[in-house]
Amino acid sequence: MKKENDKKIDRRQFFRSGTRTAVIVGLGGLTAHAANQATAKDTVWQIDPNLCVQCEQCAENCVLSPSAVKCVHIYDMCGYCDLCSGYFEPNTDELNTGAENQLCPTSAITRTFIEDPYFKYDIDEEKCIGCGKCVKGCGAFGNGSLQLQVRHDRCVNCNQCAIAIACPADAFRRVPADHPYLLRGYDI
Amino acid sequence: MNQKSEETRDRKKFGYQIARSVAVVSGIFMLIFSILVLANYFQTKTTDPLNSPALETLMGQMEERPDDQALKEQIRALDLLARKAYFTTQWQIRTGGYLIFGSFIVFIVSLRIMGHMKSKLPVVGEKPVNVWESAGLTRKRMAITGFSMAIISILIVILSHSELEEIQFRIDEVMDEAGLTDSAYPNDEILRQNWPGFRGPYGTGIASFDNVPTEWDGPSGQNVLWKTEIPLHGMNSPIRWDNRLFVSGADETRRQVYCYDTDTSEMLWQRDVLDVPGSTDEIPEVSYDTGYAAPTMTTDGERVFAIFANGDLVCFDFEGNQIWAISLGIPQNIYGYSSSLIIYQNRLIVLFDQETGGYLYAFNTQSGRMEWQTSRENMMTWASPICVNTGNRFEIIINANPAVASYDPSTGRVLWSIEGMTVDAAPSVAYADGWAYAVNEYAFLWAIKLEDPPQIGWENIDYLSEISSPVANEKFLFVATSYGDLICFDAKTGDRYWVESFDHGFYSSPILVQDKVYVMDYEGVMQICYADVEYRPISHLELGEASFCIPAFDDNRIFIRGDTHLYCIGHEDE
Amino acid sequence: MISDLIRHDQITRKWTVVLLLSILVCSIPTQIHSQIQRFPKPEFESGHVVPTPTTPHPRQDIYEYIDVAVLIIALSTASYLALKKRSRNGIFMLSLFSLLYFGSWRKGCVCAIGSIQNISLALFDRTYVIPITVIAFFTIPLLFTLFFGRTFCAAVCPLGAIQDVVILKPVKVAAWLQKVLGFIPHIYLGLAVLLAAYGADFIICRYDPFVGLFRFDASFLMLLFGAVLLIGGIFVARPYCRFLCPYGLILNWISRLSKHHVTITPTDCIQCRLCEDSCPFGAILPPTPEKAPEARSVEHKRLAILLALLPVLIIGGACLGSLLHTPLSQIHNTVQLAERVRLEELGKIQDTVIESETFQQSGKPVEQLYGEAALIKNRFIKGSTYLGGFIGLVFGTTLIGLSIRRKRRDYTPDRGTCLSCGRCFAYCPVGKKESKEDEK
Repeated sequence: MKKENDKKIDRRQFFRSGTRTAVIVGLGGLTAHAANQATAKDTVWQIDPNLCVQCEQCAENCVLSPSAVKCVHIYDMCGYCDLCSGYFEPNTDELNTGAENQLCPTSAITRTFIEDPYFKYDIDEEKCIGCGKCVKGCGAFGNGSLQLQVRHDRCVNCNQCAIAIACPADAFRRVPADHPYLLRGYDI
Repeated sequence: MNQKSEETRDRKKFGYQIARSVAVVSGIFMLIFSILVLANYFQTKTTDPLNSPALETLMGQMEERPDDQALKEQIRALDLLARKAYFTTQWQIRTGGYLIFGSFIVFIVSLRIMGHMKSKLPVVGEKPVNVWESAGLTRKRMAITGFSMAIISILIVILSHSELEEIQFRIDEVMDEAGLTDSAYPNDEILRQNWPGFRGPYGTGIASFDNVPTEWDGPSGQNVLWKTEIPLHGMNSPIRWDNRLFVSGADETRRQVYCYDTDTSEMLWQRDVLDVPGSTDEIPEVSYDTGYAAPTMTTDGERVFAIFANGDLVCFDFEGNQIWAISLGIPQNIYGYSSSLIIYQNRLIVLFDQETGGYLYAFNTQSGRMEWQTSRENMMTWASPICVNTGNRFEIIINANPAVASYDPSTGRVLWSIEGMTVDAAPSVAYADGWAYAVNEYAFLWAIKLEDPPQIGWENIDYLSEISSPVANEKFLFVATSYGDLICFDAKTGDRYWVESFDHGFYSSPILVQDKVYVMDYEGVMQICYADVEYRPISHLELGEASFCIPAFDDNRIFIRGDTHLYCIGHEDE
Repeated sequence: MISDLIRHDQITRKWTVVLLLSILVCSIPTQIHSQIQRFPKPEFESGHVVPTPTTPHPRQDIYEYIDVAVLIIALSTASYLALKKRSRNGIFMLSLFSLLYFGSWRKGCVCAIGSIQNISLALFDRTYVIPITVIAFFTIPLLFTLFFGRTFCAAVCPLGAIQDVVILKPVKVAAWLQKVLGFIPHIYLGLAVLLAAYGADFIICRYDPFVGLFRFDASFLMLLFGAVLLIGGIFVARPYCRFLCPYGLILNWISRLSKHHVTITPTDCIQCRLCEDSCPFGAILPPTPEKAPEARSVEHKRLAILLALLPVLIIGGACLGSLLHTPLSQIHNTVQLAERVRLEELGKIQDTVIESETFQQSGKPVEQLYGEAALIKNRFIKGSTYLGGFIGLVFGTTLIGLSIRRKRRDYTPDRGTCLSCGRCFAYCPVGKKESKEDEK
């Protein structure tokens, strides 16, 4: 009886170790296959400004609130216009910083006089919610120096970016972490 | 002893009571905060302060009465209120969250302490569970579950609905229309009937046309069927699809694409490249030898693509409508950008090597959407990628410093890479019969046998080309140097068959047309000889102006871009 | 006077700009991609230096490698604590550490559970580049489980840890219900692999109940789901691990083959039955009764029928699966968009949504969209057939497993479902006696 039991256990253990070896081999194969297209560098999410349509989904779909997507100002491309179409409401007739004139819903853009007739525009990222209203305005009538980007000091780099799924223009993609920004017309 | 145990019991009881009160208090706290946060959340959900209708109404009134100061004040006040509400709510929800979390921790810890203080001894039940009976029950319930799962999925199938069924039905057709099947792309035969890009089909410099002219004279006009001036200068070579010929030209500020009728020399259209998203007015630094339009265009038979020294990439259809355009930014390249474009299926391959941080890109030919990008740890490159079928796959092969590398055109992944090449590369790779040839002046000539893994079959350091790309067939490899030597090697062994010296150097690349080699020196003199073990010249033909480009070939005809003119050469007597 | 002048100056300037703008607006062709350098870069006389935009760097790669190192150390420690040291307290402390490190500090992503999807995507989409650390997070816990059982679940997985902490009054889930609910992870795993492989969505991450708690920010529904599971978890121990987790399912399979595994008693079981109710996860298998409930022939007949039924179940499942390809493929964004655009094209819907508007503006030919959608649907026909077959197979083998009678004399942990948490150690008098002797 006991002998028979031992035999059974032996058989089971043999089966188990055989399958275990098979699993190890299979796992190795799977890993090797995946490693075929592996990179030692991490990847992060970024918006391609060439595809971005400023639909305001970035402000609403990020798992963080406010969103990790912010407006980035590329000063190098900016015309420093007095009448900034990214700053002012389309029908503004008095170019002052009154709330009724501002496009930004959270007043996150500060306007500073530099010299006649130039004004500097800065984004306060604490206030920016990434809605892209200013980006749209600047792109439509200005130089396109305002662009939406995922800010990596905030982004938690979800395995599946919630905005990427919601983005109607498919503008989100994974980029190598050592080149984490995709600014249009500007090289970092 | 007894007293001691009683003491411990008392202490335990006391501890239990404290833990219980803490648990109750923290539980109540948690509940209150949860309700507050939830209320707050739903309030912001229903009335989003940043899109308040009241503010919008006021803004609407503002349009009617733009000078109403009181209205302005009202808007400002309301806006401030809305913004404050937005940020305060966020702060409240966040703080509330921390408080809930904190009280939850206290709650759980006190409950755990309670459990610890009043740990019960395990109770042994009457009878152990009869596993076999329970297995029978489980089996029954499991079967019921499976059955209901099947029913639910059938219900889902019935309820689901797709508008694409009819499209799915004619899927092959749709895929063809969408350019997603192989038959949607020009096949090898069609490609070989045309001259779709730099150095012809696949970029290998091999033409398969008959009756290509071997006699002409530019200055006297012999066999010159037509000649026309190109508006803007460019170092790019003409490309041809059916009876359309495309070239581009540019100066510091303008970038243009031209389309000619090959039969009549008529310019069918001329387009300025405008409205390139992200393009700036900045003028790229180029040398005179490179100019602002060095990269050769390419075509897939429906669209033509051009790239310029400032990184503007543009797509036109055959009628001259701009389909899409992208700026890749000004390349950091001291002599100016010159890598030509090439197409694989519906991917436009762009080699964008720079001093640092170069890329190999693939764009969708229809939409301009980037399909993949692979970063290149290379130096500047002036060479162009070639895209060849190496037996059972297509490969993009690139000559560069410090590596000759191959990429999968579908994914951009590196297939192989051989390091050790030196000097920034200008000559592109030659390919024939499973061998790839890469050469750089002051470096090496490598003949790479594309086995698995690819390795250098033979090497030569005596005759190296600086700009001109080599060309190969199964038997021979031809290299043209910038000091005027044309060398013929055995393609497989590297034995040198012959060297012929000419008066002027070669910047243009040799092209193999059947059994003949055509190569033009920088003075515009075309040297034609047989591809053979001995040097057997056929003719030396003058164009009448300098030329650095590679001709476009056709049955009976050659199209040559000189410094300022475009020539069509054929057989006058026909 | 001066202010008047300034005002006048401002108005002139304003009008110049407005005029300029209106000319520009009129001359711009109506294209969405029409940004060009419309206004020249100013040349400042005041010496204003044009600032460069800040580009804060993401988490450095080195941290990802440190995470992998911590994972290996934590797994080794967990295995040591469970198998060698047999210390429930140690395991609990380690799980607290994991909760803090992998949960609060590392913010949950990428975790081993989610990595299933990255691996699937990498296997099916050759353009997807997978970070090597993600492969490590997928493979290393599997290897450890192959040798030591599910010690990953016991003390390393932050999702397990957060649920483990709140187990206060576990109720016994009926064996049949546990088995039926345990079927959910199979569907979840199959769906997750299918949807990830075809680039539709990473559902494991999207519906991860606890990642929102780790990073203290998430959508309301996510937090609600997490809160429900945590509160439910006070009574039903580790509901996510047992009835949802797809990675736990893979570990369940692999753990059955493990070389070493925790035991309730360090030496011989004395059948005292004290540990019977000690496991909150219902993972202790009691000894089998002496008497067989049915005649052998009945059992054999049933087994034969079930074995014969297995191919039928697989084929039936595959058929059902292939029928489900339409709703499944509609999870994919491209198919969704194609359906929408088609509806609008046919005039069945009048209004538009942001997705279809964006598509119309992009100028992409509609045929291409339909073609892409058709391609994806075709893949889903194949994929959902496999999924259905897989579910049928699992269902069949579960029934067969329930019909094979295997004798057991001792109380033993179920190698598949045992999480190696070590709760039962304390209940075993054999262990107590030994450790006391050790102390002496």
